[in-house]
Amino acid sequence: MNELKIVGKSINKIDAKDKVDGSAIYPQDIYLENMAFGVTIRSTRPHAFIKVDTKEAGKIDGVLKVFTYKDVPGKNHHGVVLKDHEVFASKKVRRIGDPIAFIVAETKEIAEYAKNFIKVEYEDIPAVFDPEEAMKEDSPKVHDRDNVFYHFKIRRGDVEKAFKECHVIVENVYKVPMVDHAFLQPEAGVAFLDEDGRVVVIASTQYPHFDQEEIAESLGVNKEMVRVLTPAVGGAFGGREDITVQIHLAIAALTLKRPVKTVYSREESFLAHSKRHAMKMYYKTGALKDGTLLALEAKIIGDSGAYASWAMNVLRKSAVHATGPYYIPNVKVDSFAVYTNNPFTGAMRGFGATQVPIAYEQQMDILAEKLGLTPIEIRLKNCFREGSETATGQVLEGFVPLERCIEELKSF
Amino acid sequence: MILKKIEVNINGRDYCLDVEENLRLIDLLRDKLKLTGTKEGCGEGECGACTVIMGGKIVNSCLVLAFQADKSRIITIEGIEEDDVIKNSFIEEGAVQCGFCTPGMVLAAKSLLDKNLNPTEEEIREAISGNLCRCTGYNKIVSAVKKAAKLKRGGDGE
Ligand code: FES
Ligand code: FES
Repeated sequence: MNELKIVGKSINKIDAKDKVDGSAIYPQDIYLENMAFGVTIRSTRPHAFIKVDTKEAGKIDGVLKVFTYKDVPGKNHHGVVLKDHEVFASKKVRRIGDPIAFIVAETKEIAEYAKNFIKVEYEDIPAVFDPEEAMKEDSPKVHDRDNVFYHFKIRRGDVEKAFKECHVIVENVYKVPMVDHAFLQPEAGVAFLDEDGRVVVIASTQYPHFDQEEIAESLGVNKEMVRVLTPAVGGAFGGREDITVQIHLAIAALTLKRPVKTVYSREESFLAHSKRHAMKMYYKTGALKDGTLLALEAKIIGDSGAYASWAMNVLRKSAVHATGPYYIPNVKVDSFAVYTNNPFTGAMRGFGATQVPIAYEQQMDILAEKLGLTPIEIRLKNCFREGSETATGQVLEGFVPLERCIEELKSF
Repeated sequence: MILKKIEVNINGRDYCLDVEENLRLIDLLRDKLKLTGTKEGCGEGECGACTVIMGGKIVNSCLVLAFQADKSRIITIEGIEEDDVIKNSFIEEGAVQCGFCTPGMVLAAKSLLDKNLNPTEEEIREAISGNLCRCTGYNKIVSAVKKAAKLKRGGDGE
């Protein structure tokens, strides 16, 4: 066998040296000749029609231009799956934090000062913050459509019949809140035109190739006219999968033909990027006397906030993982992604697989208690092994070392 | 804007500067002197990414005004020598992930080891308690500081 140079060895991270030296470049560390600075105006209301007046701000000495939806040369939208975000809110805002305008000035100080002269008139409309409320027919609509925009089903066996055969049934509702990634480096970026007239955007992002497409679409140019460079990224954890600074900077640099930079504060960072989905999980789990799981019925409602982001993928994953690593022959799962006027939710470490263990593992403990079993016994009885079939019909082949893992826990 | 004249030694070099009264030390370092190894994670004294050593003590440079640094000696990450054992220990122990907290962590560790070459784990955790890391989970950072302490004492770091 050829000897492997890297695999199986502990090697030093390739960029660790630059990072300990402080010479690794994050977007906020970039200073270019003749660089202007941009700040974003965001909505302060969760659901409102808006009228924006930028005239006064535009007149301030040193302000180069105030960009709004009218200045988007291409499509005023973006979004990783559904194009439901606006680059700048045009008629209404759907959450606190929606971008409304981007002021570009000679200096950061001038841009910040000009913020005070942007007039946003809000006409509040009824908002909805509870996804279950939002599922009702007569609830306020966040977009021009039903708030439920995704429903995933798993059907296996016959749960109704199976519950009748169960010795014990445990029924509970579990709730988990939104979580912010709070990566340490707040969003920042720089955009400029290169010698060939292409727009170059430097930003800490998880998806330069998606960003390129979304920027090009909003600029109304071919993808080839847009370059996205990713310098050092100061943490992301899923929170840099959606557009934040990229399109605003690209439009400003293309229009002004000057390098433009923006750096978010920590507070703005919280407003700008996605959160982990808050979920409400209805669980009904039934087992035989010896602890063998027989049936699961679950309803999982994910709060997508004002935009879809990755909600379909996240709620699908929650459903797929709803049984936990346990074999259950009869399963009925319904998961929903629902628009509300809350902060939008998207990818965050685990992508929907992180929330459901709160429910299914507590169900296991409660079942064990009711049956007079230990938490370990009930898990050993039901855990996936090689050849087990999951609720979606996947046969687990190869290496499934869960049983060994649980056995190890016995000594604690 | 009122300007103040300050004299300050940064990383061994003397500067005589005119600074705006409301200029923060972090902006002086980053925007004016381009010492961008000092990071801004929160701007309000929570995260420690902006840590520098001023007069032998670590400070959050986002909470210090530039004129307050008058007549002081400041060490930023750029002032740490090339083959420093703390930096090397961070690399070898895998204590660096995204790296945004790293300059501040290294300086907080230096400030501890400058005074105490035999810190307990608790003392290490206390010394970096003003520095947030969202990536590594701290354990590797703590082992890096332990290793550096041992190497500085003349051990082999294992
Ligand atoms: S930036 Fe100074 S403590 Fe966070
Ligand atoms: S390595 Fe990313 S915050 Fe510490």
